[in-house]
Amino acid sequence: MPYKILDKKELAMNEVWYKIHAPHVAKKVQPGQFVIVRAFPNGERIPLTPVTWDRDEGWITLITFVRGKTTMRMANELKPGDELLNVAGPLGNPAPMKKFGKILAIGMITGIVEVFPIAKAWQEAGNEVTTLHVSPNPMVILKEEFENAVSRHIVEGFDLQPGWGMNEIAQELVKRAVAKVKELLENEHFDMILTVGPAGGQKAVFNVVKEFGIPMHADLHPIMVDATGMCGACRVTVGGEVKFACIDGPGFDAYKVDWDELIHRSGFYAPMERLALETYLKQLQAQGGEQ
Amino acid sequence: MAVRRKLIKERVPTPERPAEERVKDFAEVNLGYTFELAVKEAERCLQCPYDYAPCIKGCPVHINIPGFISKLVEYRDDPDKAVKEALNVIWACNSLPATTGRVCPQEDQCEMNCVMGKVGDKINIGKLERFVADYAREKGIDEELLFEIIPKIEKKGQSVAIIGAGPAGLTAAGELAKLGYDVTIYEALHEAGGVLMYGIPEFRLPKSIVESEIEKLKKLGVKILTDHVVGRTVTIEELLEEYDAVFIGSGAGTPRLVNAPGVNLNGIYTANEFLTRVNLMKAYKFPEYDTPVYVGKKVIVIGAGNTAMDAARSARRFGADVTITYRRGPEDVSARIEEVHHAKEEGIKFEYFINPVEFIGDENGKVKAVKFEKMKALEEKDSRGKRKIVGTGEYVTLEADTVIIAIGKHPNRLIVNTPGLKVERGKIVVDENLMTSIPGVFAGGDAIRGEATVILAMGDGRKAAKAIHEYLTKKREGQNA
Ligand SMILES: Cc1cc2nc3c(=O)[nH]c(=O)nc-3n(C[C@H](O)[C@H](O)[C@H](O)COP(=O)(O)OP(=O)(O)OC[C@H]3O[C@@H](n4cnc5c(N)ncnc54)[C@H](O)[C@@H]3O)c2cc1C
Ligand SMILES: Cc1cc2nc3c(=O)[nH]c(=O)nc-3n(C[C@H](O)[C@H](O)[C@H](O)COP(=O)(O)OP(=O)(O)OC[C@H]3O[C@@H](n4cnc5c(N)ncnc54)[C@H](O)[C@@H]3O)c2cc1C
Ligand code: SF4
Ligand code: FES
Repeated sequence: MPYKILDKKELAMNEVWYKIHAPHVAKKVQPGQFVIVRAFPNGERIPLTPVTWDRDEGWITLITFVRGKTTMRMANELKPGDELLNVAGPLGNPAPMKKFGKILAIGMITGIVEVFPIAKAWQEAGNEVTTLHVSPNPMVILKEEFENAVSRHIVEGFDLQPGWGMNEIAQELVKRAVAKVKELLENEHFDMILTVGPAGGQKAVFNVVKEFGIPMHADLHPIMVDATGMCGACRVTVGGEVKFACIDGPGFDAYKVDWDELIHRSGFYAPMERLALETYLKQLQAQGGEQ
Repeated sequence: MAVRRKLIKERVPTPERPAEERVKDFAEVNLGYTFELAVKEAERCLQCPYDYAPCIKGCPVHINIPGFISKLVEYRDDPDKAVKEALNVIWACNSLPATTGRVCPQEDQCEMNCVMGKVGDKINIGKLERFVADYAREKGIDEELLFEIIPKIEKKGQSVAIIGAGPAGLTAAGELAKLGYDVTIYEALHEAGGVLMYGIPEFRLPKSIVESEIEKLKKLGVKILTDHVVGRTVTIEELLEEYDAVFIGSGAGTPRLVNAPGVNLNGIYTANEFLTRVNLMKAYKFPEYDTPVYVGKKVIVIGAGNTAMDAARSARRFGADVTITYRRGPEDVSARIEEVHHAKEEGIKFEYFINPVEFIGDENGKVKAVKFEKMKALEEKDSRGKRKIVGTGEYVTLEADTVIIAIGKHPNRLIVNTPGLKVERGKIVVDENLMTSIPGVFAGGDAIRGEATVILAMGDGRKAAKAIHEYLTKKREGQNA
């Protein structure tokens, strides 16, 4: 099945945008849904979110945050004219589309990419939407698109310090997100909150929102394999019941999610993912490639 | 020509790789017959008359077993011809013999009834079937036969959509293509084959064999759209607008979980996830392949069906110490005898009459032990003919850093949620022609049976193809009238 890459560009450091021919997805996709992409014959199946699409022309756009082997390989090795091996979907349930009133939609790091289609559709459905992007600079992506699509777009960026690893970045992210969300909620009334991003960040934001008692919809990112409800890798406990995020979600009521379990489960493969990345980087070095 | 009938009591064995060698890799365990050995085994068959042959009655798709076996003996001087003739007989009922020859529970089906069992060893029907299919594939004889069939196909000008490329869907697709329909398979995953690709491991069913079966279907004109999830990418209603009939072969994909605290701890897999990572995504070749899998030093597998054996034997190949735990006793193990035997040879331990009640984690949310309740069997039998079991109130805790749950599966939820589709206890309801509550929509395989077998799924595929043919013939004639 040829899923041709029609166009590709780097939006910001480590943020890569792809325009892909995938008519079966373009025809059906709704905000809140995702696709599974396989880019290489020995590669993984990874979930990504269509950001924009054209139903008539049959394309979707994807934005990846380069964080591990697959996203890095895609950034390094794919060029316009190449083909992705698989783009399956759309998968997952669409986000609820109705009039909530005033909405705050928070995207942490690459999560902002997934906020875009939902926030845009919510604004079009008559809501007043404020979007908040919390992320290390200079990863300011889709700024103009957001400004055109929603009532207000806020960017809360921070500079990466030399020597910071993933832990330090995550800590700073949580600190910034919590402070900004608190500030917004203290000064304004919101009827609905949306979060997308790392589970740790989502949990921290939820703890703030909970104090204000505002309804909150969280798009979750557990690890997925098939994303058709067959494997159970993506299971999360919601309201005391085991749910499969790929077919029951990915959006859930944040008040019912077992956040600690999600955080544990999301980190399980970290050492192996690091090994995969390091092996790949060594290969690149051996070939005399960049990076 | 008359086939010789002399009583040779002992089975001609098929060579197997020794356990200590095969636990180190994922290559096939059983090596199968050579032509000479196959003929020797075939000669043992008594050639019971077709109307009587009990082996045929035991086969869910009624393969003419003495018929195909006799060809091997009859044309023993011309191996290619022998195999071609034999394959022709098998194909009349079964289009995936390389697969069924490897995975059917023959001991409960054809071989269970074999007359030779009264005087000696039963005929090794499964391995003979496998031999015919393998030899034909290696020599290109199957293609030859296929190309003899293709020009005879009369196009009907009607089309059928098939949901799911497992044994049920593939069989229905092949039969319908041979009858002249335009067939398109919608498959959710990136590869066709269903459980044959993602579930059953390479050491039992090499993936290249499944792939070659699928290539043959493509030659018959069957289109396969991978990455298409019915219920999301396209709905059954939409398929009905585009196609004249629909067949659902979406299997029983949703894993059942143990309802006990701690089931979502890290290191606890469903068999589906574990096997999908290992088989479909080739995690045993990580990091050459990108998908990881975690197999600790001590692995507990819960359940004792084929899925449990496959998971246990796969884990063993990562070097783990593996224990299969089952809440019933050895007499109720549902896996094929050959697989249980292979598992034991490979050093897998079995613990019976224990039922998991709690998964115990360490401070990082990773599993470290499983608490089981000890069970005991009563004399009374349950509805499935197994002895009833009850808890004893005594407990035992076993250490484990990986747990694999293999206690069964439910049909895929995306399909069963289709409006108007009648479903009972998760299974799609069909009439005697395998038609569902939606006119023109048929179903078969695990989607209607719950977890069953490859051959039953294929039998459904054939039966549904026949029913669809009748349905579409009426439709055609109605239009022409
Ligand atoms: C519904 C959904 C939508 C997503 N949309 C986007 C998107 O639009 N853009 C984007 O950049 N990222 C998105 N992600 C996350 C993306 O799937 C991961 O970044 C990607 O799998 C990482 O692959 P890698 O090999 O580069 O990194 P790895 O080295 O494999 O992993 C890095 C981290 O990514 C996460 N991850 C790894 N494998 C998976 C997996 N199979 N499923 C889910 N998470 C995984 C883990 O938290 C892991 O620690 C989405 C995830 C989900 C579940
Ligand atoms: C590990 C394991 C070992 C087994 N061992 C044996 C054995 O030794 N012998 C034996 O006889 N049986 C065995 N079985 C059982 C046997 O594999 C099944 O009974 C058989 O595969 C059922 O065939 P099926 O075509 O109904 O479904 P499946 O093989 O499950 O195929 C269903 C297909 O439909 C696809 N699908 C599902 N939902 C959708 C959707 N919404 N849209 C599009 N596609 C969809 C799936 O991706 C899959 O490819 C085993 C099963 C397992 C899991
Ligand atoms: S029952 Fe046994 S001996 Fe008789 S035809 Fe079948 S395989 Fe041969
Ligand atoms: S990813 Fe496999 S069930 Fe959700």
